[in-house]
Amino acid sequence: MSKRPNVRAEAAKCLLQVLDKGLSLSDVLPKAQSRVDEKDTALLQEICFGVLRFFPSYDNITNQLLSKKLKGKQRVFHHLIIVGLYQLDKMRVPEHAAVAETVQAVIALKAPGLKGLVNACLRKYTREKIELESSLNNPVCQWSHPSWFIKRVQTAYPDNWQQVLDQNLARSPMWLRVHTNNVSVEHFIDALSAANIGFEQPLLSQTAILLEKPTPVEKLPGFEQGWFTVQDGAAQHAALLLEPKNNETILDACTAPGGKACHILDLATCHLYAADIDENRLARVEQNLARLGADATLICGNLSDDDVLAEMPMFDRILLDAPCSATGVIRRHPDIKWLRRNEDIEQLANLQKQILDKLWQKLNVGGTLLYATCSILPDENKQQMTRFLKENPNASLNSINENETIDDPGWQILPGEHNMDGFFYCRISKQG
Amino acid sequence: MAVLNVLRFPDERLRTVAKEITQVDDTIKTLIDDMFETMYDENGVGLAATQVDQHVRMFVLDVSENGDEPHVFINPVIVEKEGMMINEEGCLSVPHCYAKVERAEKVTVEALNKDGEKYQLEAEGLKAICIQHELDHLNGKLFVDYLSPLKRDRIKKKLEKEAKALAKQQG
Repeated sequence: MSKRPNVRAEAAKCLLQVLDKGLSLSDVLPKAQSRVDEKDTALLQEICFGVLRFFPSYDNITNQLLSKKLKGKQRVFHHLIIVGLYQLDKMRVPEHAAVAETVQAVIALKAPGLKGLVNACLRKYTREKIELESSLNNPVCQWSHPSWFIKRVQTAYPDNWQQVLDQNLARSPMWLRVHTNNVSVEHFIDALSAANIGFEQPLLSQTAILLEKPTPVEKLPGFEQGWFTVQDGAAQHAALLLEPKNNETILDACTAPGGKACHILDLATCHLYAADIDENRLARVEQNLARLGADATLICGNLSDDDVLAEMPMFDRILLDAPCSATGVIRRHPDIKWLRRNEDIEQLANLQKQILDKLWQKLNVGGTLLYATCSILPDENKQQMTRFLKENPNASLNSINENETIDDPGWQILPGEHNMDGFFYCRISKQG
Repeated sequence: MAVLNVLRFPDERLRTVAKEITQVDDTIKTLIDDMFETMYDENGVGLAATQVDQHVRMFVLDVSENGDEPHVFINPVIVEKEGMMINEEGCLSVPHCYAKVERAEKVTVEALNKDGEKYQLEAEGLKAICIQHELDHLNGKLFVDYLSPLKRDRIKKKLEKEAKALAKQQG
């Protein structure tokens, strides 16, 4: 016989793996969700996301509550106290239940001797919340981001840096892209209305649907029949801006999980090469393409490697969704701000430069390259492209918006703008 | 000591009715050690021999907070039952599924200990539930048998799907 796993204990273990061991929440959370009861999966996610969004404040308060820091094997109880604080602070759980359930988690984590400690910390918090919170007046606690990141955002966006940071703390909306090969937009939105699901079509592209509130995919009409894909509004611009035409030879570089590749094939009957460095992720692209009955040539390899490039033809269009800091999607992946380090940015910018320089050689004269990242940092975006345009006389800016110049190229979408993720696009063309 | 493979519902071997143990020998003692290790490894509170594909009348349990109160039941028989309560149960053979089941509130059980000596135990609460749950295993019965056919079928489909996904992953 077994007892139901304690959700709070599972949450504390997830947080330990992300914050102390540096693992990604998208690797850790699904495994924990498969262990708990179906009814508890949403609660587990809510706790993990919430704590990661506001971690510095809860971490600071926990350190105040503990007379001695919890280290080594006891470290998980530091995170468990934080789980308790989050429930008391932000969730609609009655105070006695939040405390009692969190104390029960101590038993599930096999250290019943610490029940008293966890109970005392949470009780003290409920009594002395205001005093404890008075020491949260530093920028890291106030903005809930690491200080290196706050500084970078302040430098890049002196007028609206607060707004950028605030948006990263918001909950992310759910966007769908209608698969017009499988269903018409009219039919799909009728089916949504019939199912009483609120939505908007806020972009120029009618296939982009913004749901009023996130809904499990299986509760939406036509999931089994492949009527839609879940894809953020910002990411839906990639294929549109690439403007694929029938019979062209096109490369989708760094394709996984394949949402943009599917979109390209929706828009044009073309010879699509989809490349990615990660074999496992590429296998998922294959599944996605198969589900939609779409066809592409899959290439597994490093695109800055000459041998890999030699195997490929010349392309009419290239979509380079480059490896990046993912600082534009923090609202969707709040672990990113704690996993990323300041020194990663320079390394990523170098990697992007390498891939960009190599792929440029594979583009036909007259061809178009769309550079994309889900970053909001200029080092990876505007500065990257300014350098590229200045170093490559045969590259010209193919503006997306009217006001673009070589010194200010591309379209930077900030997180929350029209409800979209933070994203960057820059389109360039190759001259003879 | 070794962690043993636990059979998963709807495996037909879980329906086997276990046989009496005639002699508590070294084979049984090794099985007891392995079953404790398996139970603790999977965070269970009880494990019947049936679940590790050994069809003899024996189960182990430990419902303590610290995991330091191991009990062994060989050839167990419930000699007295009292009261009724409904509580949530789960099972290592039906992973990640939990449901409410009706059981007697107090039970008195007779069994042999790991040295083959006869003893009697009165149990209530979680320990009583666990004894009834494990004894069911020895008779080829699972806690999902107490649920509505609709609910049982949903659990079966879910586990079959998970098993398929796992087999695919391991290629």
